Order: sequence, then C-alpha cells, then structure tokens
Amino acid sequence: MNIRGISATRIILWLVAITIVSFVIGFGILALAGGFPPSADHPLTPFRNNALLTPNTTIIPLDGATSGDVRLTLGAGDLTLQGGAPDAALMEATVFTEAGIWQPNLALGANASQKSVVITEKGHAGKAWFAVDSPNRWEIRLSDTIPIRLDENVGAGDNTLSLGTLNLETLAVHTGAGDTTVDLSGYHGGRFDGTIKTGVGDLTLRIPRTSNTRIQVHQGIGDITENGFIRHDDTFVTPGFNTSIAVNQITLNQGVGSITLETV
Amino acid sequence: MLQTEAEYIRILKSRLEGTLPADELADILSDYSEHFRMGKANGRLEEELFRSLGSPEDVAREIRATHFVNKAESNKSCGNLLHAIGATLGLGLFNLVFVLVPFILLVVLLLVVFIFGIVFTVFGPAAGIYAILQILGIPAFAIWQSPLAGIFFSLGITTFGLLLVIGDYFLARFFYRVGIRYLKWNIGVIKGTECVA
Repeated sequence: MNIRGISATRIILWLVAITIVSFVIGFGILALAGGFPPSADHPLTPFRNNALLTPNTTIIPLDGATSGDVRLTLGAGDLTLQGGAPDAALMEATVFTEAGIWQPNLALGANASQKSVVITEKGHAGKAWFAVDSPNRWEIRLSDTIPIRLDENVGAGDNTLSLGTLNLETLAVHTGAGDTTVDLSGYHGGRFDGTIKTGVGDLTLRIPRTSNTRIQVHQGIGDITENGFIRHDDTFVTPGFNTSIAVNQITLNQGVGSITLETV
Repeated sequence: MLQTEAEYIRILKSRLEGTLPADELADILSDYSEHFRMGKANGRLEEELFRSLGSPEDVAREIRATHFVNKAESNKSCGNLLHAIGATLGLGLFNLVFVLVPFILLVVLLLVVFIFGIVFTVFGPAAGIYAILQILGIPAFAIWQSPLAGIFFSLGITTFGLLLVIGDYFLARFFYRVGIRYLKWNIGVIKGTECVA
C-alpha cells in the first residue's frame, strides 16, 4: 500500500501517534477539570454517566384524595407543567436527566382528604468549557379533576406552565433566572390566589378574559406589555372586573425583564 | 469394483473435467497412465495398482483440492479461497473441524474487528460534533464530561477506528497466507506425504 509516496508504515505510525497523543491530552484535560481520581460521581470514563437524556416517569395516584398539594423545586433545568394526568392520578412526572444522582427527591404525604407531593432537586454546578451544565428537564402533568395547591420553584431555567385545565386553590411560581410563561387559557376551575416571582427573565401571563382577575405588578427593571386588560397604575384587571363576585388575585414580582400580560 | 485401467482413467477424467484446465488434466491423466504402464511392466497386477493409488474418486478430490489451493495461493481472492476451502472439506468429514471451524472463527474475528473499526471511525467525528455543540451550550448534546477533552477523545477514537480497519486488512492478508499454508499441510497429511507434527 503506497499512497502518493507515503508508505503504509508511515501512515500507521502517524495514526498511532495521533491516537496516543489525543487520548493523553483528553485524559489530561479531564484530570485538570477534576474528573480524576475516579469516584462514584466521576467514573473513569470521558463520557457522562448516562450520556443521553433518560426519561424517568413517576405516577402519583390520588388514593382517594379530593385535593392535592404540589410543591416542586428544580434547581437548574427546564420545567413544563400542565394538566392531563392519567385518571385517578394526582401527578405524572417525567424527569429527563443524565445521571441517577441528579434524579430529584420525591416525598409523599396524606392529610385527611388531601394528598401532598414534594419533588426537589437542588441543582448542580457547571464548569463552562470543561463541563457544560447537565441537561435536566421535567415534564409534569397534574390532575384536572381535583383542586390543587401548587407551589413551584425553578432556580435557573425556563418555566412553562399551562394551567388552563386545572382547578387551582393557590398558585405560587418562583423563577430565579429564566423565562416564565403562565398560561391560564381556558381556565374554568375555582377561584384562586396566585403569586408569581421572577428574578431575571421575561414573564408572560395569559388570563381568560372572563375570569374576573386582578393582577398586582411589582416590577424592577423592564417593560410591561398588556393586551386586553384595564390598567390602574400597577394593577391590571380583566374586562368587566367585579369585586362583588369571586376574584382571582395574582401578584407579580419581577426583578429584571419584560412582562407580557394577555387576555385570551 | 474397478475392472480396468481405462475405467479408472475414465472416472478420474470425469471427476476432474470442468475443474482443471484441459492441458493440466491431460498431463495428470498421462501421469496416471504412465504409472499403470510402469507398474504392469514391473509385473504388478491392475488390482494391486488400484489399491496402491486409492479410488479414482478420492484421487480426484485430492487433485481438486491441491489445484484450488494452488490457485488461491497464486491468485489471491475470497472466491479462490472459498473454493480451496470447499475442495479441502471434501477430503474428509473431519475437515469440518480442522478446516471449517478455524475458518469460521477467523472470519468472525476479522468481521468483528472490521465492524469495530467502522463504528469507531464513524462514531469519532459524530462525537466530535457533539463536543462542539456541547461547547456552544446546547445541553441535549452534552455527552462528554468535558467537551474540550471530548474533541481530543473524538480525534483519538477516529484514528483508532482507522487503525482497526487498516489492521484488519493486514490481519486478513496474514491469515490468508497462513490459511493457504495450513490447507496445503492439511492436504499433505491426508495424502500421507506429510507427517502430523
């Protein structure tokens, strides 16, 4: 074998050299990045524990409960929450993450006719070039049939809630850094009070035009865009707002970022 | 039961026709006729000569095997090698163990090395692209503990894959040569011209 005067031996020697040098440099960088010595968290492999995102679905049954208390804490990652849990289930939670050690903690409780679920993931540190932060995505489906108290925290990441089919008692949304969308389109559940707090990021809130809702906004830096609301200073109400009937009260606290309020 | 020399030669010819070139076949038949002629001149009976030569079917099988092995040696190709192995298998049932099994094992070995080589060669660049996308901050592609290290590992994996493919080529050539020698030795043992080591 002779390619344009370069002997096969020379080609093979070059390939061997490139292979050895590449692996040496690769493992050297891993060592500098803290990948060595190997441990339970960092096995001797250049790949992540579970390279591809692995879904892990958990279904929390209602067990006869007539109301639910759901508390979610996601340190870093994207969270999508909506209705449509299977029949007789309070929640269907699907967690897409890389490593078993980053699977969130799950705590269940029952109090009289109320079932409570607490899912917590404390987050983890990334190292820029040397180790990009872990992909971490939660997809949560809640029951459409029972009243739910929802308290949801996302440290860093996008937070998307489609709550139109739910029946809320209270709503608390906290996003540290990232975009937040709370969509209550088509909401026909009971009256509720809500607080939405965001640190840095844009917030979009969609409210049914006929929902008799009042929104109190406390904003740091950013614009407010509204569509279909009646504005009184920092208060926005839906058309035909009437305090003599049940009022949905929502308080917005925004640090930095734009706010978009829409009636649908 | 063979009756005459002519019948022996006829059977031998019928078994070898279509396999050997006409001139080579003529030479072989001429050699056997000469063998009979010399034997008779020395006062040996035809029956005795038949016994010493073996049946024309067995002789034809040995000649076919030798011919195909020589052909595979002079003209290297998978087809010629398969013909040589097929002809050698015809020499005896035990060659299923002594020829076919080693041949299958070697083919599987070469195939596995080749497949690994191709997989590494293809996986390396793909993993390198993942490392670049990971550096760009696209989390879905974060397969590396360290994306910078991932680029070097990708390069190493690619070149290692190429080495496997190239190594597989040389390994195949080596096994081809060794295989031909083994087939020759095998035929020699069966013909009784070579002792088992």
